[in-house]
Amino acid sequence: MPVAIVEGQDVGYSSLIGEGRVHSAIFTDQSIFEAELERIFYTYWVFLAHESEVPEPGDYCRKSIGRYSIVVARGTDGVVRAFFNRCRHRGTMVCRYEHGNAEFFRCPYHGWTYSNRGPLIGVPFPSRYGVDFEKEKLGLVPIARLDQYRGFYFASLADDGPGLTEHLGRAATYIDMFLQASPTEKVELRAGASKSNFHGNWKFVGMDGYHVNFTHKTVQDLQVRRTGNAESLKSNSDRAPNLTVDLGGGHCRLDLSLTDRVEIGKATSSLIGEIPDTDAGHEYLALMAERWGSEAEAYEKIRGSRDVHLHVWPNLQLIGSEVRVIRPLSSSYTEVFGYPALLGDVPDEINERRLRGYEWFNGVAGFGTPDDREVFERNQLGLQADKEPWMVLSRGLTQAEVQADGVVVGNITDEVTQRSQLGQWAKAMR
Amino acid sequence: MGEGDAMSAVAPSLGELRDQVSAFLVAESELMDQHRYDDWLELWSADGIYWVPCNEDDYDPRQHVSIIYDDYGRLQERCFRLNSAGAHSQDPPSRLCRIIGNQQVSPGSAGHVQVRANMILVEVRSGEKNTYGARLEYELQPDGDSFKIRQKKVILLDNDEPLGNLTFLL
Repeated sequence: MPVAIVEGQDVGYSSLIGEGRVHSAIFTDQSIFEAELERIFYTYWVFLAHESEVPEPGDYCRKSIGRYSIVVARGTDGVVRAFFNRCRHRGTMVCRYEHGNAEFFRCPYHGWTYSNRGPLIGVPFPSRYGVDFEKEKLGLVPIARLDQYRGFYFASLADDGPGLTEHLGRAATYIDMFLQASPTEKVELRAGASKSNFHGNWKFVGMDGYHVNFTHKTVQDLQVRRTGNAESLKSNSDRAPNLTVDLGGGHCRLDLSLTDRVEIGKATSSLIGEIPDTDAGHEYLALMAERWGSEAEAYEKIRGSRDVHLHVWPNLQLIGSEVRVIRPLSSSYTEVFGYPALLGDVPDEINERRLRGYEWFNGVAGFGTPDDREVFERNQLGLQADKEPWMVLSRGLTQAEVQADGVVVGNITDEVTQRSQLGQWAKAMR
Repeated sequence: MGEGDAMSAVAPSLGELRDQVSAFLVAESELMDQHRYDDWLELWSADGIYWVPCNEDDYDPRQHVSIIYDDYGRLQERCFRLNSAGAHSQDPPSRLCRIIGNQQVSPGSAGHVQVRANMILVEVRSGEKNTYGARLEYELQPDGDSFKIRQKKVILLDNDEPLGNLTFLL
């Protein structure tokens, strides 16, 4: 698919996103994928790691931005930094493990050694380098910009551009809400990662309130089986009170809270299990009531957190208990890492239930996400037949309400969220 | 019939136990490969735990995510889901063939039997062939001339790699 020329003006790939429609080449064309890496993933702020993955000095974790391997390390000075995982000598990856604690990274090839703050501190047999060899200029290459919002570290490979606060915009409020199920407003990614892949485009991992009754029919059947009523079937229809919301900047969310109720010991329509009617459940509620002022407000914060269903464009989602990270690797291959976020400073039983709730829907053998994956793969296959390449994204286009602040709100089944993401895509890919 | 004979009828020799376990694992494999979910569920004890660890081979599952950590209630849900229409990730179902070998059987406490074995599983679905290797650990409870599963742990070699669709029975 060539770059389009409209009225003599180069508009890049943005002409592939139309009013209520999208051209399927953005999901299938490898040259467009290469441009996405450059213009989106190697330019915009992307989520990299959470502070709880490197809690102590010397802790490191290995992450990626697009195809680049990145080391995130908390130096012995306590400062978190991020570097390209590439020896300055011949380019070998210096960090092999996904996480650990190390004072330095030593390249296995010729023994070049870097401190966990980045500088090159050791070169074997240095006498054979000339006098102009500048060791101090050969430290690990740092990521241009690294910043964090409430423990969530984001990276940008662009030297300048909008700051992280500006990038996150209204999405920050929902990151706040995600944390508020903890009485100390902390989450910890220390329970491992559910790692999955699919043969399909990264943009399929979107936000869609319309697919639930069909893709996740079995989840709804299980909820009916468990609760004995069919309330959950009513959460995602054109008559449900729930919402799709475009927050601007490609960030968007589903609001499923309008059919959710929180009460100790009572089953829930959310994907997170109920608060158990046990000592631990009551202790949790008491801690929350103390933090937030009243039991009613504690319930409200718990409900608010578990109903967070947020996409932080382009590669982060916060859904219920999950921090989900999208790793684009080709136009038709994507990896998704799901981290169950444990709550800080709550009884162990609360986090144990969170894990079991997480596994119920998520992961490669869960009852929910494998069916999403199946649909993504069939989608990628279906799109190959591009005789009629335009896909329909007009659901709720005329009915959705544009509020005074520019936020767009539609019914839960509207394609407000997809238009949010793809509108931002068009802007970035211009 | 002497007293010794009566004893041996109660407690089989290690050789007999190995044969019984082997027959049980073959029968279980057949049920899983053939997607006979309800029949497979019959093999489980009501306090059974079906565990497929994630990222590491062993840890406290109360503090770390698992690929599967099913108690009996969730096993029932798993089978209910697979039996119902709409489980797209098993529609069509995976074609499965597994070999279980290298079995080590040892009598455990309270009459239970500990089993360690290796598994090679080949899955064909949607034009793709996947091979999974795993170490298996069972705790079996004698039940007549067969067993009920009290714990089954499936340690996949690639439990720390990005995986695809593991919605069939492991």
